[in-house]
Amino acid sequence: MIKMKSISKFYPNGARALYDINLNIHKGEFVFLVGQSGAGKSTLIKLLYRDEIPTRGQVIVDSDNLIRLKEREIPLLRRKIGVIFQDFKLLQNMTVFENIAFAQQVVGKPKKEIENNTEVLLEVVGLSKKRDVYPDEISGGEQQRVCVARALANNPPILVADEPTGNLDQDTAWEIMEILSRVNKMGTTIIMATHALYIVEKMKKRVVTIDKGKIIDDRPEGANRFGI
Amino acid sequence: MTIDQRGQIGLEFNTFGFIFEQVFISLKRNVLLTLASVITMIISLSLLGCSMLFLANASFVAETFESQVEIAVFLQDYLSSEQVVDLQNKLEKIEGVASVTLTTKENAIKEFEESMGSKTLLEDLGGINPFPDKFTIQTTDAHLVQDIASKVSKVTGVEKVRYGQGVLEKLLQFTDWLRWVGLAIVVIFTIASFILIAFNIKTNVYSREKEIQIMRLVGASNSFIRWPFIIEGMFIGLIGAVIAMVIVGFTYTWLLGYVMSNLTFLPVVADQLFISKVLGAMLLSGIGIGVLASSISVRQFLRT
Repeated sequence: MIKMKSISKFYPNGARALYDINLNIHKGEFVFLVGQSGAGKSTLIKLLYRDEIPTRGQVIVDSDNLIRLKEREIPLLRRKIGVIFQDFKLLQNMTVFENIAFAQQVVGKPKKEIENNTEVLLEVVGLSKKRDVYPDEISGGEQQRVCVARALANNPPILVADEPTGNLDQDTAWEIMEILSRVNKMGTTIIMATHALYIVEKMKKRVVTIDKGKIIDDRPEGANRFGI
Repeated sequence: MTIDQRGQIGLEFNTFGFIFEQVFISLKRNVLLTLASVITMIISLSLLGCSMLFLANASFVAETFESQVEIAVFLQDYLSSEQVVDLQNKLEKIEGVASVTLTTKENAIKEFEESMGSKTLLEDLGGINPFPDKFTIQTTDAHLVQDIASKVSKVTGVEKVRYGQGVLEKLLQFTDWLRWVGLAIVVIFTIASFILIAFNIKTNVYSREKEIQIMRLVGASNSFIRWPFIIEGMFIGLIGAVIAMVIVGFTYTWLLGYVMSNLTFLPVVADQLFISKVLGAMLLSGIGIGVLASSISVRQFLRT
């Protein structure tokens, strides 16, 4: 599903963000990316939805070579990848319902379908009752659930999350993780960057550890302890 | 939106409906910014329209004054009528001469008699007509008067040449100044209104940077993101221009009526066709600047 071959990423000022990354992720996997702040997790995530381009190496997502992707093909890639952010990135002047509907409108779905689909998504993330409320009137956890629903709106085969629990307390974080687990069980591939080790340990999924831009550890699903 | 075999994204009718819906929703949501843009547009375009009308009137005043400048050419006394005709042909061939009108000495004295209210002037003068034959020369450009006058004075058969020496120079100085001021005002207001409107629309687009960012992240194509902004710019331009047109149109018509009845000595442009051209220019500028400013602003966010 996702292949990274000998990826290196240098920023114009010469700073090294990633170095010689090789990573294969299969369909349906749940992968944690862990490492300290500045280790390169976010950069790696951004390569997946082509917010960044590697200096060297190849990124292949769902058989698309992202290096060769043309400008006008980027929107098509992004429809295959749902993205969840630490800071939610919700539109404050739209209701919960509208935020989720918006992601579907931009891909040109018929109105009726958008309405039905959004109702279903609201149910999945448990926000049916707050559909007409604005983001600043709900809690951080609820905002993140809206963000998850939006990321899932176009049925993407891949979901990437950059510190989705970073702004949430532990209980709320678990609510989000439960939703993500359910989504993963339905077949969506999930890549999640985090430094919440309590989550990583309890979930027992594959864990890729990055340090100073290099992969220093890649433990398969079900492993117990992590050396960070 | 559809995706064809080459992966191109096309916009379908359904999507256009959505885009228009988006435009109205966003105009409503950003009501204060929209209002600010429209007001900026109204003020700028009104100033632009006024300055264009000012330029036109300034030029018209200048032209009217200048067209009253004539050269009077008095002929020597002994010329036969053939020679006079020859002379007229010669004068007409001088560059810059628009027309040469002959006033014979007979006509001149008749005119003088009429203006004096006397019918026996010629008899009173003992049958000697003191008036010479005279040509009145109209020039194509008042700036050429001096040059033409000196050329004419060298032609044989010409006794004396008169034009408003001294006064003419001052008049030309004034009319040239009037034209430049008019032009400068148009240029200044054109630039000012472009900057004002462009800056305002740019602020409008920038305030929605996040919205654009999110649209891109969820896979909206660039054209899908761009269109609502362009239509919005066009709409703001249209509304602003229509209101400005009404303001300028009414104000000018009222001013015309006032000047024509109270300041009759002042020449004014009352040509309906010209006024509608100015109003049309305002409309086009409004829509043009609206579209241009919004597409340039939004483009900055669509680069990767």
